[in-house]
Amino acid sequence: MSDLGELNRGTVPGAADPVRALLHRHHDLCRRAVDPLEIAAGLEAHGITDRTAARFRHRDVFSLAEELYARVPRDDDPPHPVPPGAAPRDRAALLLPLLPGAVCAASVAALRHTDGETRLYAAAGGILALTLALRAVLRRGPLSTPAHAPRPAATASWTCWLIGYALLGDGLLHLAITGGPDGPPDGTGGGHWPLATAPALALALACAPAAWTTQLFTGRARRRLGSSRGLEDFTASVRPVLLGTVALFLLALTALLATASALLDEPFALPGTLALGALLFLARLLTVHGFTHAPKVILMITAGAQATALATVFAARLPGCADLSAPVETLTAWHPAAVPALTCGAAALTLLVHASRRLPRASAHLPPGRAR
Amino acid sequence: MDNRPSRHHLFRLRSSRCEPPDQRRLPTREIGGAHVRIGLLTESGYPYVGGEGGLWCDRLVHGLDRHEFDVYAFSSGEAQEDAGWVPLPPQVRRVRTAPLWAVEDDGVVFGRRARRRFREHYGDLTAALCAADDPATPEADRFATAVHGLAALARYEGGLVSALRSETAVRALERACRAPGARRAAREARVPDLLTVAAHLECALRPLSLDWYEEDGLGAVDLCHATAGGAAALPALLAHHFFGIPFLVTEYGVRLRTHYLTRPDSPPAVRSLLAAFHGGLAAETYRRAAFITPGNTHARRWQERCGADRAKLRTVYPGMDPAPFADVGESPREADPHTLVWVGRVEPAKDLVSLLHAFAEIRAAEPKSRLRIIGGPSGPEGAAYLGHCRALAAQLFPDEADGPHAVGDNPVSFEELGGPGPATSADAHAAGAVTVLSSVVEGFPVGLVEAMLCGRATVSTDVGAVVEAIGGTGLVVPPRNPRALAGACVSLLRDPERRSRLGAAARARALELFTVDQNVAAFDGLYLETVARTPVRHLVLDHTGDPLPFAAPAEAHVPGHWTTDPGPRAVPRWAMDTPVPATETAR
Repeated sequence: MSDLGELNRGTVPGAADPVRALLHRHHDLCRRAVDPLEIAAGLEAHGITDRTAARFRHRDVFSLAEELYARVPRDDDPPHPVPPGAAPRDRAALLLPLLPGAVCAASVAALRHTDGETRLYAAAGGILALTLALRAVLRRGPLSTPAHAPRPAATASWTCWLIGYALLGDGLLHLAITGGPDGPPDGTGGGHWPLATAPALALALACAPAAWTTQLFTGRARRRLGSSRGLEDFTASVRPVLLGTVALFLLALTALLATASALLDEPFALPGTLALGALLFLARLLTVHGFTHAPKVILMITAGAQATALATVFAARLPGCADLSAPVETLTAWHPAAVPALTCGAAALTLLVHASRRLPRASAHLPPGRAR
Repeated sequence: MDNRPSRHHLFRLRSSRCEPPDQRRLPTREIGGAHVRIGLLTESGYPYVGGEGGLWCDRLVHGLDRHEFDVYAFSSGEAQEDAGWVPLPPQVRRVRTAPLWAVEDDGVVFGRRARRRFREHYGDLTAALCAADDPATPEADRFATAVHGLAALARYEGGLVSALRSETAVRALERACRAPGARRAAREARVPDLLTVAAHLECALRPLSLDWYEEDGLGAVDLCHATAGGAAALPALLAHHFFGIPFLVTEYGVRLRTHYLTRPDSPPAVRSLLAAFHGGLAAETYRRAAFITPGNTHARRWQERCGADRAKLRTVYPGMDPAPFADVGESPREADPHTLVWVGRVEPAKDLVSLLHAFAEIRAAEPKSRLRIIGGPSGPEGAAYLGHCRALAAQLFPDEADGPHAVGDNPVSFEELGGPGPATSADAHAAGAVTVLSSVVEGFPVGLVEAMLCGRATVSTDVGAVVEAIGGTGLVVPPRNPRALAGACVSLLRDPERRSRLGAAARARALELFTVDQNVAAFDGLYLETVARTPVRHLVLDHTGDPLPFAAPAEAHVPGHWTTDPGPRAVPRWAMDTPVPATETAR
């Protein structure tokens, strides 16, 4: 704060330029100011009133501020230092995504080492624990939604359907084509209705790379915000980052799936799982940045397509409708996992195109607002 | 009682505490008493408990019980909403609240035409913000037109929240900043600056998306009274635009000035654009307001500076309730003639350090004098400052004990209201012969007015609105000058007759200028004057709800004074002070 008492003693009455001392004292304020009113507000906050201004031969603080504003050279302004956009790093939130993988691995192990009624309880307990773990991951950390986004409406049920299909769907489809099913699944990979646990385990383990790559993308984009000159610049520089992020996630998912398949001694179901993983990752990435509409629609359409594929096979058993199952049977004969791979793959590609248009925009990285 | 849910779920109504419709009090009609329905617009104050400036709104509403109030309130945070409302008197007919602090996407997606209109209006707004200050520019109404256009869009198409946060908005902002003729600071805006400005504009324009602007909402009131500038005045501005409703603006602290002080560390581009926005909003508010009532001369100067017409300015001092101070003020009992009192919240701006230094000099001249500092710290900064002051006092004035086993006595004491010492601020002022105010920064000095109401002689520093409050009834010294402060205090301590003379004059002045009654009467007069100047738009109904024929004379539909001779009227005033519109009006 200025010391007015000192100022009074320091300025000789009738000195040629009394404003000079004031200018020196408030140099920072005057240099930073974008208009005279800002200087006036700052001077008043330092206790300068109209009566003080009269000592500087000015009518009021405003005209004094105008003189100060006019007298400060402004040509050699250094560029304003861009504050590093360091997001607070939450260690717990970064380790939390490991939880669903651990829970899923424990559940799979429990399923393998139990049988009968105990296995049913183990399965129910595993599903409950996994749901809670996923909920925790989606509430906190890089995968949580911004506060101001509209409540994600019905994506959860569609996501559940897609994961359920990955677990049981292909088995059911093959059974239906061959005339089954004759009973509920027995919870093993080798029964008449096999349970594909490797893709589910790989997807649960992939929560961690998903969270970390999302964090990477957000951090990179924030850094690009500071360094780019215009919006076009920013968009052009963030698009490769987005594609790299998706590629990194898919690599991680492939590695996890290979490990899980080898450990559980199950077939390496790469296309279907990769497509589903990419779809879920892109949907979450869009939701995290506030774009909730497209993921919802795409997930709904994908789940609908899979349900339709199953329904056509069962509908073919009705008299006179035998041709209905022909497309699905042809596809399955071509590749056993063709239905999930094609539906999820097409959906993931659509979302990738959408994301590569939406996420590199600067408005996707607006500072989040507060929610009630 | 109106408690419909609002159209966008951005807003919600709390449980309403007004009477049910069947118990509704009919307006009492008496000769000479016009019944006015007032839309009271508040921001983070009334009717919430403990809101800033809530007290005078409460007194105003209680004091004007023959009028009707519709309260439209913005809350400032979740804590405030949870704290609840103050008890509302029956003249408050309706309370509608909206949070300005929370953003919730209402999911409104504009169609192609709405998007195009949004781009045009937002582009106009940003262009007005980025344009270099040139008084000769013919587009002075561009800002207002753009805001009105956006408001119309929000009113007919739905909320603006997602549009204001969209890429369209950010791109429009960038285009305006890079346009030729943009001001220098705007041209240097980088991408983070653009995003900050866009987010702030979204926040500032949230009142546009409210569903208050309907015939039975703000359209049904006779006049609006905005109790602050800025966001609270925006609904009044829009009600004026949509329905032609006149409005008053009361500012005890100028919003624009607050905005300059709140973000000193932002990049220049952000500060420049936001200053342009708030400056434009203030200028437009002052231009359209029927009356502007600053709370003191300081606010008045800022308003004049921002383009307020002097003819519309009426200074209305904040009112204080004189009753608690009557006993002290009227009692002939003289307080301890050697005691100086300082009353207030302890914070660095109060400059207690110079008061302590001054007291050292006072004590050198008057060894029997004592200083009582009464008040608690405000916030952690204030607590630290209080500790510093205590240490300084202990250093300057060591305890003086009578004997080796006696407890030392210090001429400086620190006390808190409600502690073992004085219970109320009236008691605090009563404890001393002279009240001292040593602030370096001060708005309207409430503590000083309390001392005046207590009939105490005062010594204060020349800051803020001190001089206009005290007038000639107390001593005023330059701030940060302990020697001058000491001199003034010593002269008063040595002269009891002068003390009592000044005290009596101060009490008379405070009773005349700073009471609740004068505050309420001033606003009552302004309401009636505003309504009298406005053409009647509503149908007047009688007790049974039927229209009253000829309740308003035909002349009442003509704006302006029709009972008095307006004098020579070559050009009406509204034609002179509004700028020539260069762009199309968005009605």
